Amino acid sequence: MNIEQNLQKAEQILAPWNKETTHPELNRLDASLAAENLRPAVTALHAARWGYLSAITGLDLGAESGQMEALYHFCSGPAITTLRVRLPRTGEATLPTIEDIIPPATFFERELHEMLGFKIAGAKSNDRLFISDDWPEDVYPLREDFNIEQATPVEGRHADETPEVGMVGENKFVIPIGPQHPALKEPGHFEFTVDGEVVTGARMRLGYAHRGIEKAAESRNWIQNLYLFERICGICSHTHAYAYSLGVEKLAQVEVPARAQAIRELVAGLERIHSHLLWLGVTAHEAGFDTLFMYSWRDRETVMNLLEQLTGNRVNYSANLLGGVKADVGPEQAKAIKEGLNFLETRIRHYLEVVTTDTMFLNRTRGIGTISYEEAEEFGLLGPTARASGLLRDVRVEAPYGAYHQFPISGVTETNGDLEARCVVRLKELLVSCFALRTILDNLPEGPLTVRMPRKVPAGETVSRVEAPRGELFYYIKSNGGEHPARVHIRTPSLCNWVSVLEKAVGRQLADVPMLIAGMDPCFSCNDRLVTTVGRTGERQTWSWKQLRQHGIEYYKR
Amino acid sequence: MNINNNQLWVKVIKKVRAWARLNSIWAVHFNSGSCNGCDIEILATLTPRYDVERFGIKLEGSPRHADILIVTGPVTRQARERLLRTYEQMPEPKFVVSVGSCSVSGGVFHGCYNVGGSVDEVIPVDVFIPGCPPRPEAIIDGIIQLLTHLKDGNPRPARKEQIIERGVA
Ligand code: SF4
Repeated sequence: MNIEQNLQKAEQILAPWNKETTHPELNRLDASLAAENLRPAVTALHAARWGYLSAITGLDLGAESGQMEALYHFCSGPAITTLRVRLPRTGEATLPTIEDIIPPATFFERELHEMLGFKIAGAKSNDRLFISDDWPEDVYPLREDFNIEQATPVEGRHADETPEVGMVGENKFVIPIGPQHPALKEPGHFEFTVDGEVVTGARMRLGYAHRGIEKAAESRNWIQNLYLFERICGICSHTHAYAYSLGVEKLAQVEVPARAQAIRELVAGLERIHSHLLWLGVTAHEAGFDTLFMYSWRDRETVMNLLEQLTGNRVNYSANLLGGVKADVGPEQAKAIKEGLNFLETRIRHYLEVVTTDTMFLNRTRGIGTISYEEAEEFGLLGPTARASGLLRDVRVEAPYGAYHQFPISGVTETNGDLEARCVVRLKELLVSCFALRTILDNLPEGPLTVRMPRKVPAGETVSRVEAPRGELFYYIKSNGGEHPARVHIRTPSLCNWVSVLEKAVGRQLADVPMLIAGMDPCFSCNDRLVTTVGRTGERQTWSWKQLRQHGIEYYKR
Repeated sequence: MNINNNQLWVKVIKKVRAWARLNSIWAVHFNSGSCNGCDIEILATLTPRYDVERFGIKLEGSPRHADILIVTGPVTRQARERLLRTYEQMPEPKFVVSVGSCSVSGGVFHGCYNVGGSVDEVIPVDVFIPGCPPRPEAIIDGIIQLLTHLKDGNPRPARKEQIIERGVA
């Protein structure tokens, strides 16, 4: 089915509730709805299996219009259908929840609530997820008229309320994990309720790394933002800059030269290798397989060298410019990259053998955290986590962008859906990347690296999606025609994949939790110094994450 | 028992203690809202290519066993109290190393509504390592500077307030 037919189909499905339809871009359909029609419309799209909910963007349209808008973006291949709901800005802007229809919407809805003050009717939980606990009620950072004075801490509340730890009922215990961890990256906080060894409940708290980037973006100009977004995540920095530049270039109707496009894909491929090798090491570490950890990190230095040679920096490479790239690939670099790839390819094949044959490692991965195809679809998983369950969610394949038209990638899937499959998918993906990178190097188009970009970007809005190492990265960019963006909304893939950790931990052994979390490759780190657990006998122990990890290792020695 | 600082055995024990401390530094890492860039570089310093373990530096999970606290990130509102708590849990003598431009000054996140600004507004910092992110060599250099400084029998490096008092900064 081509894009047009696909969008027509969506229009037909939405016809009964639709107030007005527009086609802002070739691959987009905007449908305005009344708030009370949202649930039936979402149900209909969901029932017809029209794509998946990719993100929900909230917009404050300003005091003049007195309205706010919520945008529900559904993606199916390259086609995007956006349901737009407008509500008054003052008083109760209430949206019905859709989390019972689409589980990952929980996080999106809470974001809407915390950032813009939409009330979500019928939501299961109203705990804060992103903003700090001492943030005053009824102050919303993404409102147009927000200023920092409004956010003075509420008296008597702590920015970081100590979680409830201890007995909750017979033989049940709450274990806090997070937000500080020696071996991982970003902070997140989990609370697991356990009955003896078995996890019976899971809750999550984010916001330790919430910096307020979306708001900051509104006060910086288009070029400054490139460097800001690159620093959302140091592991997939290129992807962020890539998605942002693609979006802005689309708005400005600038055509990027073919050579620049190819170099962008090249850097993205190298970044994927560095990210997956990093992940492999961390996962091996959680399983107690430190040899693999050290080896994979040693090999990762090869990619870091290549990235540095190419762009001048090991992390946050800043290879992108609006309208092109700033790093060129000369014959020497091409040669170095090829040599590096040859070495890496043999190593990756070796790791592929290790993760599928090492008995100890298989004990920790085979059959653990299994997610079926249906569940993967229901949870809205993305990236390698989804592909390990046989669900091909890969923007590079489904909706090719930039140079992926010229240098396509074949999608890799596995069927088992367990931790082993997730390892295998990621490693096989690297082999595909190595192959694609070589093709690019051999057929690098000639021509300039940049084109001129206007300082002001014409008014309009656009959606740009890019495949990050962890899954689909979603950017919504709106311009009012000025030097600054009017709104940038970013949905990162980890946010979608978290649902699966929370759902899958329940019923598992506590010993599996570190591996489960690592297996999703969530972009965050976790641990607390104090992890308290209670055995069946009722005797209490205090554990650190390290001990928990150790416990996992010991448990599987039995 | 009466302990006199001038007794020979007390001096010897102090020497031994200092020697042991300087050759087996345990570090705890705290991310106060960074972009991960610095964190992966810190991890890279521990792995075979840079291998700081040869200086006796080891990453430790619990602040209660650690000598130095390595902080990255611009200290978000939610992470601030955790940072304080982590710092307070460490036994004396403790040292703080702030890694990355955004932990030194807020860096690219300066002015965002949810960030405090810099680590040294919350806890005293001994070594600042700027860079976005600093290279592993720079991180090693920063830590080694701290160690040599201590090894020469110097007091801990000057704090920012002290520098300001002296009118240097
Ligand atoms: S200094 Fe730069 S690389 Fe390091 S955490 Fe901050 S933004 Fe990221």
